[in-house]
Amino acid sequence: MKPYRLVDLVDDRPAEGVFRVNRALFSDPELFDLEMKHVFESGWVFLGMASQAADLHDYFTTRIGRIPVIVARGKDGVLRCFVNSCPHKGARIATQPSGNARLFACPYHSWTFDSSGACKNVKWHNAGAYGQGFTEEDHDLAPIARFGEYRGFLFGSLSADVPSLDDHLGEARHMLDLVADQSDEGLELVPGRVRFTFAANWKMQLENCSDQYHFTSTHPSLIKVLERRAAGENGAAVKSSLAGADFWKGGDEGIVGGSYIFEHGHVVTWGRMEPNPSQALYSSHTALLEKFGADRTAWMFNMRNLSLFPNAQVAVNASTQLRVIRPIAHNLTEMETWCLVPKGESAEARRLRIRQYEDFFNPTGMAIADDNAVYEECQTGMTGQDGPWLQGHARGLAATRKGGNDLSDRLGMEPVSSVAGPSQLADETLFQGYYHAWLDRMSEVLA
Amino acid sequence: MNDLTLERARLTLADAQALITREARLLDEQDFAGWLDLYTEDALYWMPAWRDDNSQTEDPDRELSLIYYRGRSNLRDRVTRLTSGLSPVSRTLPRVAHILSNVELGGMDGDEHVVFSSFVTHAYDPRSDRLSYHFGRYRHGLRQVDGEWRIASKIIRLANDLVPTVLDVNAI
Repeated sequence: MKPYRLVDLVDDRPAEGVFRVNRALFSDPELFDLEMKHVFESGWVFLGMASQAADLHDYFTTRIGRIPVIVARGKDGVLRCFVNSCPHKGARIATQPSGNARLFACPYHSWTFDSSGACKNVKWHNAGAYGQGFTEEDHDLAPIARFGEYRGFLFGSLSADVPSLDDHLGEARHMLDLVADQSDEGLELVPGRVRFTFAANWKMQLENCSDQYHFTSTHPSLIKVLERRAAGENGAAVKSSLAGADFWKGGDEGIVGGSYIFEHGHVVTWGRMEPNPSQALYSSHTALLEKFGADRTAWMFNMRNLSLFPNAQVAVNASTQLRVIRPIAHNLTEMETWCLVPKGESAEARRLRIRQYEDFFNPTGMAIADDNAVYEECQTGMTGQDGPWLQGHARGLAATRKGGNDLSDRLGMEPVSSVAGPSQLADETLFQGYYHAWLDRMSEVLA
Repeated sequence: MNDLTLERARLTLADAQALITREARLLDEQDFAGWLDLYTEDALYWMPAWRDDNSQTEDPDRELSLIYYRGRSNLRDRVTRLTSGLSPVSRTLPRVAHILSNVELGGMDGDEHVVFSSFVTHAYDPRSDRLSYHFGRYRHGLRQVDGEWRIASKIIRLANDLVPTVLDVNAI
């Protein structure tokens, strides 16, 4: 079978109503290495939030694919991103997840760099008897090829050969606007970084965020708890914002949810949620209505699980979560997760949002560990199978329409395609957005 | 009233050790009903998150925790889910051993007798054939209810907070 051809990996025949993905995308270590190089290290990826380096000389560290990087705010107030590796011997310069540093000193030989990445000192330089070649070299921390911000969300690319960030995000920007518009002051992350791993391919996480089909199957234990609470059996419980919503319950109720595919692999799945006091945002409902009108405000209160290909997800459902996906191996993924909040919300709204978040989104809570477990069952189950094609990308194919629909029109948003329907439709075709972007990035290396 | 205050039970190191050791055993035996009975109705159960490499979150209303509950009925929710047979990650519960050490009396905090200890839990998950271990420090706050020592608060400071797939109340 190897070397792979793209047509062997994704079977995309729209005219015949076929879209299938090969299990090798999840289980092949060599394919994983190619993905790291061509999906993660050659195109736009999400880095973090501008609020993570809010003040002068603040910084945070992350990775682009396998490459460690620093995002720092220089003394000029400008955010920059450079490779977290000393030009001298390659050592990682910043070892903490975040901090404030006017100077970064390499722990090995004390070369120092300022908060804009410029080399300020090569220790004992004058006595170093360097040749001309060294003198002519650039000793600064290497800036990444492209770096940009959209409304507090930071992205970078190790390749310069990419579209502008605005083009890359495209119409998915409307979905970020719905989050960013919730406060005049912008967004921030609640202190407390939660990380976990699962022994499965990173694309399981990418898909699951967009998967409305799994909720009642993977999470009935949580639903049982929600029912217990609804029956008044836990007077101490924090209200769940999911309890009152219908989009996941499986009745036949007209249009209660759907999905949109945007250019470059970004997708969103949404479900209708009526504004209600169990949502932290509810205390801003009147103000938002006044400022943005009924259509836009209704969208702000809907459940929306947004993926920004290939590595970021903004989940607005039981609370609001920012997830960063870090693939480590074909069968191992690390997740960095944060509670994403509008700045300046009331203490009561913040408390509610945090409690709902812990209950649902933490790996120590009542939902996410079940997702992790089923990813691992997929990873185990699909290994070494002869029949390569998965059947997990087919629901909704006959309901897909090109372009947007009435609901996206209300935002002035023009997706590539859309699906809308009852909860049991539970569209899977939005995953196609991921694989089209994947094919696009992998076409650099596979024919 | 004054008499009652004066006669408030003294917590001995042996009492403290007995109670937190019993808690560990009940969890390891998966006797969750017995475990819940050790807690007061209004109990605090709190596992802070890490703010950065060096500090933990301290204000649960403004900062994220790994777990934060006030009220034993929230722990009952967790047990309901854990033992429901409906949770893919918990269908087969991991086999857990809690190891406790360094038990120390920490004086009074309000009406609670503080007990510090260190813990290690080892967990074997038959589902995935995977071993995991977690370690850190406990701070129990004990109170007497009807002549019995009960847990009014438990703060779990988890040192290794990169969670492998799952970490539930049975394994911390």
